[in-house]
Amino acid sequence: MIEIVKSVKVSERISGLREKVLSTKPTVCTERARFYTEAYAQNEDKPIIIKRAIALEKTLLGMTIFIDEGELIVGNQSSKHRAAPIFPEYAVDWLPEEMDSLDKRSGDAFFITDEHKKELVEIAAWWKGKVLYDKGRALMSQELRDLQDSSIIKATGNLTSGDAHIAVDFYKILEVGLNGYLDEVSLFHKQVKRYEQDGVRKDHFYTALSISIKAFQSFILRFQELALQQAETSNNTARTAELLTISNNCKVIAEKAPENFYQALQLVYFVQLILQIESNGHSVSLGRMDQYLYPFYKNDILAGNLTEEFASELLESTWIKLLSVNKIRPWSHTRFSAGGPLYQNVTIGGQTTEGLDAVNELSFLILHSVGKMKLTQPNLSVRFHQNISETFMKECIRIIEKGFGMPAFNNDEIVIPGLINLGVEKDDAYNYSAIGCIEIAVPGKWGYRCTGMSFLNLMRVMLASMYDGLDKFSGKTFYKGIGNFADFNSFDELYKAWQHQIKFYAQKTVEIDTAVDTAIEEYVPDILCSAFVDSCISRGKTIKEGGSKYDFVSGLQVGIANLGNSLAAIKKLVFEEKKITQHELLHAIESDFEGKEGEKIRYMLLNFAPKYGNDDDYVDLLLRDAYLDFILELEKYHTTRYNRGPIGCRYYAGTSSISANVPSGSVVPATPDGRKAFTPVAEGSSPSSGSDVLGPTAVFKSVSKLPTEKIMGGVLLNQKLTPATISSDADKDKLVSILRTFFTDLKGWHVQYNIVSRETLLAAKRDPEKYRDLIVRVAGYCAFFTNLSPDTQDDIIARTEQTL
Amino acid sequence: MIFNIQRFSTHDGPGIRTVIFYKGCPLHCDWCSNPESQAFGYSLMYDRQLCKSFGDCLKQESNYLSAGENRILVDWVSVTKPEKFKNICAARALTVSGEEKSIGEIIEEIEKDRSFFEQGDGGVTFSGGEPLSQGPELDVLLLELNKLKIGVAIETSLYVPWENIERCLGRNINFLVDLKHTDSDKFKIFTGGNADLVLSNIKKLAASNENMTIRVPVIPEFNHTFQEMKKIIDFTVALKTVREIHFLPFHNFGSAKYEMLGMDYKYSGIRNLVADELDEYVVYAESVGLIAKIGG
Repeated sequence: MIEIVKSVKVSERISGLREKVLSTKPTVCTERARFYTEAYAQNEDKPIIIKRAIALEKTLLGMTIFIDEGELIVGNQSSKHRAAPIFPEYAVDWLPEEMDSLDKRSGDAFFITDEHKKELVEIAAWWKGKVLYDKGRALMSQELRDLQDSSIIKATGNLTSGDAHIAVDFYKILEVGLNGYLDEVSLFHKQVKRYEQDGVRKDHFYTALSISIKAFQSFILRFQELALQQAETSNNTARTAELLTISNNCKVIAEKAPENFYQALQLVYFVQLILQIESNGHSVSLGRMDQYLYPFYKNDILAGNLTEEFASELLESTWIKLLSVNKIRPWSHTRFSAGGPLYQNVTIGGQTTEGLDAVNELSFLILHSVGKMKLTQPNLSVRFHQNISETFMKECIRIIEKGFGMPAFNNDEIVIPGLINLGVEKDDAYNYSAIGCIEIAVPGKWGYRCTGMSFLNLMRVMLASMYDGLDKFSGKTFYKGIGNFADFNSFDELYKAWQHQIKFYAQKTVEIDTAVDTAIEEYVPDILCSAFVDSCISRGKTIKEGGSKYDFVSGLQVGIANLGNSLAAIKKLVFEEKKITQHELLHAIESDFEGKEGEKIRYMLLNFAPKYGNDDDYVDLLLRDAYLDFILELEKYHTTRYNRGPIGCRYYAGTSSISANVPSGSVVPATPDGRKAFTPVAEGSSPSSGSDVLGPTAVFKSVSKLPTEKIMGGVLLNQKLTPATISSDADKDKLVSILRTFFTDLKGWHVQYNIVSRETLLAAKRDPEKYRDLIVRVAGYCAFFTNLSPDTQDDIIARTEQTL
Repeated sequence: MIFNIQRFSTHDGPGIRTVIFYKGCPLHCDWCSNPESQAFGYSLMYDRQLCKSFGDCLKQESNYLSAGENRILVDWVSVTKPEKFKNICAARALTVSGEEKSIGEIIEEIEKDRSFFEQGDGGVTFSGGEPLSQGPELDVLLLELNKLKIGVAIETSLYVPWENIERCLGRNINFLVDLKHTDSDKFKIFTGGNADLVLSNIKKLAASNENMTIRVPVIPEFNHTFQEMKKIIDFTVALKTVREIHFLPFHNFGSAKYEMLGMDYKYSGIRNLVADELDEYVVYAESVGLIAKIGG
């Protein structure tokens, strides 16, 4: 029987620590940049992997460390909370260019001192021509560079930072401890055949592993020392005892496997931290935390060494520490990742390898502790399956009700068969976890970027297919088409033009990815991250060289709903009903629906054609087919690891395009779905904003018609609710019931709930067209907000303020 | 004729439901929140907020539309054959309420959410208007739904000839019956109908061993006093076979639609009732052995 911890009050300690991190302005820390620059400069002759090991060692031994008053979980990424370290080896030119405007950004501002600015200018000068961004661009043909500059394909984030989008093997880390890894490295190092060319490379890899793991151990021991010093000077006996425990924890886990829950959690946090000091890739995820930590938790509870309250406090401390980690991105990339998230995912629930419900007491504890903190980190995902505990599902809804969008759900019923179908072993498939947002991988066995390769702007491709391949926005014809829309005699011709263009662009995304991967493999190999992923050590390869057991990746396709809606509108209104002529449509989109006639055409496109999200096969199946044209082409290609070790080495589709719908839309002229020029395109796999007017069941049906089993990079669906919609127990039951249907019967991939705020309601009142899908709970029923009279809207706005 | 099919309805019977709203009602309650449901034929609706003055409606032949300033003017009393305006207005300012759908088409719509019905006793709810005034079409639909094993609820005023109700008996239907008032005079003034027919039908239905819930719209000026509500509750208790009573608080959310239909709204400006104001009815209903709740 599972006990549920009722929401205990947040302790004074935790609320203090939380407040401190929340109120800290993001800044920049130059320490890592300085150490890496020095290490690279002093070791120019050395192989890159050794150079990077030395740089990491120098950083871990030299960087500022601190333990704040009251902290239970220790470890810092940089000299201050929320100070983003700089990773000059990936890209640094942008920093001197943008540093004066960092604090003026409309979102994700950073504050930087003049002293640091000066230092960064010097650092940037040293790196000129040496960074990943330059090397990667140099590997690309002019065409590929032009494609990126045109914004049809975006991969900036992939050359300005590391890969990540990965979860490492925490089961093994907690079982063997860091000494276990050193032993393994030394065992394989001894077997290296130095008389073979490959042996030379492996020799360096093992040397680098050994330097890096030892540096990691020394880093932990620095905290042992610091805690001890602070204990000696503390006047508070309770705090002294805590510091001594922290010190002892660090002493144990620096070398050995953890002995209890507290130590295990501390080690997990150190690993999480170190991966984000080694590389600035984001979506470094924690995997199935309620599973690998559970044996420690259960033992401690049974032995009476741990209370639920203290365990919760430790988890809450960890979440605050996760928020303290920060990343600074160039503005061009920031816009794709609004809100500056690190996407450190924690996954709970799901099934055991025997197919039983894996929900345990720790799953509840993690859920509640994340609910209590209401922070943006970690990103909490729940693995749904048809036999999941009903009590747990209802508790999830209670947390969702708090309105910070968590937890999100992933669905075992589609993911596990999908993975097995790809060639993943059954036990591994049952052990998958969410990575970053909604994408999935098997922790510790998968390579980087199960999603997060390049972004493809589908609507630019769709528009090019109307102009004989001409991309009007950039003025370039990247691929000559099969004719102009103005001359087409049937919808079929337009469709063929789409197929013709999309195949070209599908290949180009892979060409860009291949250049990026080649550069990353050569210039910025990860050492520790590779150590913690099966089977890098035994193969003597980094992940990028083919060290991981599995390797499947996906890019992101942006503008899914717009593609379907545009094709459907043209098919129906231009070719079938002939309500709009080809010329009228072209004129309307080219003039951004200017004038009364233009506006009328826009309304016809919006109101007289079927829209994705309303369970209408006309548009849903058209979208499915058009997307499949891309997906089937993509399936023909391989990653750079093909035939080098991993199972798979293939691409699949992905739609978890974070906030990319806004910047992607900003480079797309008006489209045939009635969307105005340069406004956002639809997000993820969600319907276009305001176009789904039949409620959530119809949305679920539409989304489930996408070829989900081929979109293993994630099918992202956001739904909006007001707090009152799920306030009563009966409402929560109904929400659980539609989720069960969506996942069990319709095999949906993912859903997350956005509980809409009062601000949204106000915006919806001002601009109803954009919010036609907004459902609110009024009196005893649910209604579309924009259908209500202004007075009623005010009434609901007033009430929402009370509920929030 | 129907005027709406609403999927994911969570408050018109158990579980997740698809509600089929029939057009046409023999009553015209003064507080009605779906005024477009009253007429049996098509209804023209004009929402001046959405009007973009595209002018396509004025190109259709009619003697009741004319151009106004940034809007059109409708001479409501002269409206004939409004259906010719279906899909004319791109801005959806001028629309036509009412749709002829075949039984096959309705079943197809219902089937779309079937997988959602199965969790938690969901199904179809026929509402209106008055679904029992629809003639033989409903019988065929009910038969089909029985065959498909989809649960059915009917929201009705029972202000119809007994034969219309009798035809639905024995089909495992969940009747959600409006009991608005027990006083004939007041009933007549506020709804235009005859309370005796309703009360007699309720008694007959209660005696037929059908699954029935009484629903009482609580309306200011009409029945929102303890004296009147007590009579309604006592009447319900006397039926013996009814266990549940729901009180539905008055709301004026339909007011905008009156304007769009060119109709007068007698309850304009009357404030919405909140749950607290209905508490004493719930307390009394429970004291006499009913299961009572506020809201549907």
